[in-house]
Amino acid sequence: MDVSLSDPAFWSRFQFGFTLMYHYLFPQLTMGLGWFLVYWKWRALKTGDETYNQAVRFWAKIFGLNFAVGVVTGIPMEFQFGTNWAGFSKYAGGAIGQTLAMEGMFAFFLESAFVGALIWGEKRLGPRYHFLAAVAVAFGSWLSGYFILVTNAFMQHPVGYRVDSRGLLGIKSLSAFLLNPWALIQFSHNQIAALVTGSFVVTSIGAFYALRRLHPIQAQLYLRAGTFTGLIASLLVAFPTGDQQAKMVGRHQPVTLAAMEGKFVGGPNAGVAVIGQPNVAARRLDNPVEMPGALSFLAYGHFGSYVHGLDEYPQSVWPDNIELLYYSFHLMITLGTIFIVLMAYARFENWRGRLESNTWLLWILMLALPFPYIANTLGWMTAELGRQPWLVYGLFHTRDGYSKVVSGGDTVFTLIGFVGLYFVLGLLFLYLVGREIGQGPEEEMMANPRAEHEETVIRPIEEHFV
Amino acid sequence: MIAVWYAIVSFMLIIYVALDGRNFGAGMLHWLVARTPEERRQVVAAMAPLWSWHEVWLVGFGGTLLAVFPRLMASAFAGYYLALFLILWSLILRGTSIEVGGHINDRLWQGFWDFVFVFSNFLLAVLFGAAAGNVARGVPVDADGNFSMPFFTNFTVRGQVGLLDWYTISIAIFAATILAAHGATYLTLKTEGPVHDRSSKWANYLWVATVPLFLAISVESRVVRPDVVGRAIHNPFCWLGLIVILIATGALISGLSARREMRAFLGSNFILVGLLITGGAAIFPVMLYSTLAPENSLTAYSVAADEHSLRLASIWWPVGFALAIVYFVFISRRYMGKVSVRRDTQGYY
Repeated sequence: MDVSLSDPAFWSRFQFGFTLMYHYLFPQLTMGLGWFLVYWKWRALKTGDETYNQAVRFWAKIFGLNFAVGVVTGIPMEFQFGTNWAGFSKYAGGAIGQTLAMEGMFAFFLESAFVGALIWGEKRLGPRYHFLAAVAVAFGSWLSGYFILVTNAFMQHPVGYRVDSRGLLGIKSLSAFLLNPWALIQFSHNQIAALVTGSFVVTSIGAFYALRRLHPIQAQLYLRAGTFTGLIASLLVAFPTGDQQAKMVGRHQPVTLAAMEGKFVGGPNAGVAVIGQPNVAARRLDNPVEMPGALSFLAYGHFGSYVHGLDEYPQSVWPDNIELLYYSFHLMITLGTIFIVLMAYARFENWRGRLESNTWLLWILMLALPFPYIANTLGWMTAELGRQPWLVYGLFHTRDGYSKVVSGGDTVFTLIGFVGLYFVLGLLFLYLVGREIGQGPEEEMMANPRAEHEETVIRPIEEHFV
Repeated sequence: MIAVWYAIVSFMLIIYVALDGRNFGAGMLHWLVARTPEERRQVVAAMAPLWSWHEVWLVGFGGTLLAVFPRLMASAFAGYYLALFLILWSLILRGTSIEVGGHINDRLWQGFWDFVFVFSNFLLAVLFGAAAGNVARGVPVDADGNFSMPFFTNFTVRGQVGLLDWYTISIAIFAATILAAHGATYLTLKTEGPVHDRSSKWANYLWVATVPLFLAISVESRVVRPDVVGRAIHNPFCWLGLIVILIATGALISGLSARREMRAFLGSNFILVGLLITGGAAIFPVMLYSTLAPENSLTAYSVAADEHSLRLASIWWPVGFALAIVYFVFISRRYMGKVSVRRDTQGYY
């Protein structure tokens, strides 16, 4: 598909892609880290060990910064449906608006009501309510993930809808819509991928302190908790969730699977390309190194299964950027495999009692920090590029969805604004998080948290009632 | 069903204005009521733990609007394109200034973020005010139900209007004033010492200032939309809104003079609620009035989603709202009373 750089649809796609990819760098850590906070807060409650409270206080600061950037970059997303994608909002708003509204009502209200309590409220709330605030925030963030994934799953594999007399979408069955099988699988895959990010970040900071020989008790806590969750999550993200996700694509979007794998010609015993560059003009994979039969087996359960090729479909339904789709998918798989090996080795070293002293391993764990973010982003690029040229798969084309009344000039203007603002926001975030990490977890020693909590309001509460 | 959903969506927006309006107001007055770094910490502490809880009502409103009135969202958001992005960017700057200002104990750093905080809150109050003015005046909706609007054209209120003209600017001034008054009333409730005394003084001045402004915009609205008043007097919700305004004004005046700060603040909230109920009811069922030709106007009935989807939404919406009330009660109880800089802030700020 030809994309002209003065095409307003291109700029709306570019803007949405940019703001969404940037935004999702933050919620994935929120969703991954949330359960670490719950776990440590729970251990602190059970054991009374101040180590866990120190860990919570330290990570809550990073969580807070991360959550704030997630909120401020997330609000534009919802409004961009209307500003840049008016055609889509008009057509599908009656269906996807329901989950976006539910996300607000059920998930964001819960999260935002308690996140202040989690980050600022330890002294005001006391330990038990503080634990409950951590649970509410972690649960709320996963719930919001579910509603967003139902929305995305509807765009990938629309179910439970009806078309009204005006040709617009509405909901026919709320349960079919909410329990879309695509959403269930995509949710498991995505949430576990968020846990991978959370685990790698916790591990990486642990490795940083271990290498600098700072905060040894905290470093050990982070390394052990991070690699333990990291190994389990890295395994689960590949199998069964990733595997099921690919099977789902094979069943409902076979042309997408063919493009993801660079399969220009269909056939049995289809292989998985380990190396190879798609050459779309010549309709072949250059320099292919394939594992024969692997794709047939992974997608349909038998080495001899027939896998559809792009040649079986008219070019008009091919995803419009096969090269980027192919690399996104393959690099995600490669990174996922490396994550399993790395975390398995780290756990092996932990079993031998050398996790905190193996310098080479600690360096790798520390420097691994950005890679789960990259893998998560690549996964979303695979999902969204693979859905093209449809906005709602099989029902509504992307080129019909953008706002016709908004000029390309307006979209480029707002895109420039976002790039500038988000660049500054990114610098601020890195600087402030870096500062918190530099100061470390043990800086804030609380002599007697109970006494602080007892410090009551200066005037009795009753006076404020009418 | 559609009228009920119109009421629900308006109601969510009204809650947002009452909740976040106090932050806009407190933010605008930040430099006036708080002079020293310690005093400024009080102002930030009065809103910091709850700003995202307030802002999220805007997200809830947006999602519900998309679900219930998808065609309105499509038409209005694309039409208000540049204005909406200014609002979004101001929201980003406002949230950032609250969150990062407190992380470093440095005069220069905090001075800069104080500036961003004041500026973005002021801009938000003005932009939301202008947006309200645009809804009341109408926008150039064409026969297909679309419009596209620049910031300004010739500053008149008929035909190819822009975002800003003499009418929307006066609504924006009124909005900024009344939200500042609301914020001052909130700070009077939440702070102590010099900040409290200055806020209380500003609350008195600003509430007095809203009275002539209110009379002015009432007359202006009569001129801009002569068709509305005739319809509004038959709408019971307009009368309900007016009664709410009267009672709330009584509560505000007695609260401010008797130093019953909670009563004054409730009054201040309900004045905003009453004003918006009256306004929302007066324009119903037209959601976007066309300044080009009245028959192009988008009404709630023409932009709503199908009946079945609306019925499904009315199953889960009350559940979500009931939960929100529970959180609201929890939060209100936990954050009752004056702010304490020691307990309600994080780090240095």
